[in-house]
Amino acid sequence: MKRKYTVGSGLLFLLIAGGVGYLIGLGLDALIMKNVRWTAPVPSAFSLLFAFTAFFFGVYGYRGITRGLVYQVVWTLIGGFIVTGIRVMMGLSVFGGFFFTEPAWVFGALVGAVAFLFGVGVMDDWVKWARGIDTPEFHEDEPGWEKFLGVSLDHKVIGIQYTVTALFLISVGGTFALIFRTELAASGLQFLNVGMNLFGQNGPQLYNTLMSLHGMIMIVSILLGIAGIINYAVPLLVGAHDMAFPRMNAFAYWVSVPAAVLLLMSLVLGGFDTGWTGYPPLSVKAPVGQQMFFLGVFIAGWSSILGALNVIATVVRMRARGMTAMRMPILVWASVATSIIALTATQLIGLSFQLVMFQRLFGMGFFDPAKGGNPVLFQHLFWFYSHPAVYVFVLPGLGVISELLPVFVRKPLFGYRWVAMSSLGIALVGFLVWAHHMFTSGMNEYLRVPFMYSTLLVAVPTGVKFFSWVATIWGGKIETPTPMLFVLGAIVVFLMGGLSGPPNATVSVDLHLHDTYFIVGHFHDTIFGGFVFPFFAAIYYWFPKATGRRMNEFWGKVHFWLMTPSFLILTFGMMRVGLLGMRRRIADYDPAQGFDTTHLILTIAAFAIALSVLIFLINFFHSIKHGEKAQGNVWNSRSPEWQVSSPMPAHNYETPFEVVGEPYDYGLPGSKYIDFVPAQGGKH
Amino acid sequence: MTHKQDKASMLNQGVFIFVYLAILTVLEFLVAASFNSTAVLIAVAFVKGALVVYYYMHVYKLNADHEGDHDSYEYKSGTNRLGLWLFLISDAFVFGGLLVMRMNLLGLTRPNLNQLLGLGVTSVLLISSFFMNRGETMIANGDRKGFLNNTLITFLLGLGFLIGVVFVEWRLAAHEGLTPSSGPAGAAFYMMTGMHAFHVLTGLVFLAIVWVNGRRGLYDDQHYPVEAAAVYWHFVDVVWIVFYPALYLVGTAIV
Repeated sequence: MKRKYTVGSGLLFLLIAGGVGYLIGLGLDALIMKNVRWTAPVPSAFSLLFAFTAFFFGVYGYRGITRGLVYQVVWTLIGGFIVTGIRVMMGLSVFGGFFFTEPAWVFGALVGAVAFLFGVGVMDDWVKWARGIDTPEFHEDEPGWEKFLGVSLDHKVIGIQYTVTALFLISVGGTFALIFRTELAASGLQFLNVGMNLFGQNGPQLYNTLMSLHGMIMIVSILLGIAGIINYAVPLLVGAHDMAFPRMNAFAYWVSVPAAVLLLMSLVLGGFDTGWTGYPPLSVKAPVGQQMFFLGVFIAGWSSILGALNVIATVVRMRARGMTAMRMPILVWASVATSIIALTATQLIGLSFQLVMFQRLFGMGFFDPAKGGNPVLFQHLFWFYSHPAVYVFVLPGLGVISELLPVFVRKPLFGYRWVAMSSLGIALVGFLVWAHHMFTSGMNEYLRVPFMYSTLLVAVPTGVKFFSWVATIWGGKIETPTPMLFVLGAIVVFLMGGLSGPPNATVSVDLHLHDTYFIVGHFHDTIFGGFVFPFFAAIYYWFPKATGRRMNEFWGKVHFWLMTPSFLILTFGMMRVGLLGMRRRIADYDPAQGFDTTHLILTIAAFAIALSVLIFLINFFHSIKHGEKAQGNVWNSRSPEWQVSSPMPAHNYETPFEVVGEPYDYGLPGSKYIDFVPAQGGKH
Repeated sequence: MTHKQDKASMLNQGVFIFVYLAILTVLEFLVAASFNSTAVLIAVAFVKGALVVYYYMHVYKLNADHEGDHDSYEYKSGTNRLGLWLFLISDAFVFGGLLVMRMNLLGLTRPNLNQLLGLGVTSVLLISSFFMNRGETMIANGDRKGFLNNTLITFLLGLGFLIGVVFVEWRLAAHEGLTPSSGPAGAAFYMMTGMHAFHVLTGLVFLAIVWVNGRRGLYDDQHYPVEAAAVYWHFVDVVWIVFYPALYLVGTAIV
């Protein structure tokens, strides 16, 4: 008999286990520390882990993600106790301020993350292969929503898993932003002040932790979000029955879950105050939360690397017959460009964080000048990824804009070849610009001018995209359903980000703008224009493909018209206070600077954005079951996935297709992109 | 595959390449000991790496046909091969980053290490690559017994390398005062050899898996897993071909 699980029982379990975990943590804390602290890190950590795990147990039972989380919790403790035991034998200090000592936490967290992967079941087939046991190429998925909480090899399921996880993390990161944005609404410290104490941190420290985590959680959510779009769309667009490596695809998704847990653990284990960049020497001195942060990012990086590997292999090896390079959809080009960066450069952020972890654990003085190290070396290694990373974030989004625009203006995409090449151009130039983040860092001065020019060079391929979009819209029959609104919004917002970029790239100006809110306004414009708006556009656009229903059009428009003006007010306001002297990453400012009112408006705008995203989330989950039925070619698109009925079956096209024309020839009479041809002996 | 060559000529080729590699290794050791030219050391390492990448890792196989039956074993192996090489490119960026770290912190100085031990472990790893290539060639030609013997030798040599670095070299270095926390030379030395040793360890795991499964005859017809383990093993060798001069030969030793 099948047990009936519901969200209600999940919430009940969450509350009970959260409370039990809190009490266990409190007991341990009192025993070891001889001191009862209601808001201490250890009870909070136990409460968080238990509550998460129990929620999924209530919803789903002991399998899939629940088993993974149980394994992670148990093995984190086992790993921690192993190191603690070794320390006892070596006569070292046994327990630290956060129950375990730092090496015990790090080892435990690493073991726990690996154990999660075994628990969730994503390693099962590989273990069997290693033991010489053959497995079927694909496994049957459970029907219904339950397949999303366990391991599935279907790229469409994994794409949706990525997307929903990204939306969850965006909500978490956004909530953090709202908390510290509220603190910034007026000068002086209102509630995040020294008198407050939570998770072993006082108010200003908590501000720093929330600000730092907002950055990294949003970055991880963006990586998962683009992986969601790419995973769902690319195999459909190239006519493959799945990704090239379905098991690694599942692995890449599931490895991001323990990574997200570790990132959240850093909040309750003392936090960290370095910002998302984690520069030493500050990151060497921060509490153990810093290590959880490093480890979480390191593990999330593997998700990005392996996902990118899969995309490149899929596009190179699995395209439908007749789909030559110059007939691939632009989103596929953009995905390949983004994957080239993610595959290679991601290793460098992992390495830079790993070196700081080792400096903390083993006293290896990579970045410690007292031991002959060099702190600026960290910045070079770190930005070698972390600048190209922004192109990883925006290239798929820009691809979505180019992909959707012709559909809604009923005209061919202007300058297909140039747009295709511009993605690669941005990716390759992106490798040569990293030191523009370091103009004020004290690096060698002769590096400044070359990096200034290479940075300005990025504007050329990006400009190509803008000209293409404008020329595509020019004279078209524009329709404005919700996805198109978000595409247009993306173009406007990304333009603002693009125009505010070159001033920062220019050394003389950057020396004044560096570390001000002008930079914050600039990158929020680029990321919203390059990722958030296209991400929403893609969700509204492909939602009918995934579910067979469409999202509510009215509430979609409310979402757009509430979010866009609020967002522009937010970023223009950020740039204004930045020019007036507001520094980044600080909890307070001087009322004499005269921008209290602007900050208040910014906070109101931030809440308006949050409200619009809430509307979106309700619309999203409500439409899955109650949306208007839409199984045909909703948007009248030429793309192959819309030529078959929705939702798509497992393994995609029942009849393979052959590419016979150009992808974006909208409005040209008699033009065809694809023909469905019955398979002949498995030939593609 | 269009590059099908007969067993004897492939085995002969492996011997020739090994002789080149051995000569070049002795050459770089002597260059470092006499006139120590960084440019020559870089050139030698580059040539050695290129030889292994082409003749032992068979990088040209990536150039296989992209047409054909997508469900055939050959086509799927081609896709797997591409995936493996993409992974190696990604992994190479880790080692590249470590090399940048070493150059930034140490410049043209190097840790003071036991030269004979360094040459010894390097030789052991190169010889293991030679036997790995033999093993792969043999299973590709249906010689299971030859494959098993050569893979076992590779495994034992790899284990010897690991013990030589982690249990002998690290102890000797620590005894001489070179510890992870002693300064930039110690930090770079333990980090680079440690990361490499971790890859050797995973390579040994893969070798053990293909050896055990190969004994049961799993690869008599379809031997891509052996090729994958071999390519990974050679990659670990290529990394050492670069790290050996970077740690033991280039520049002057910090005493």
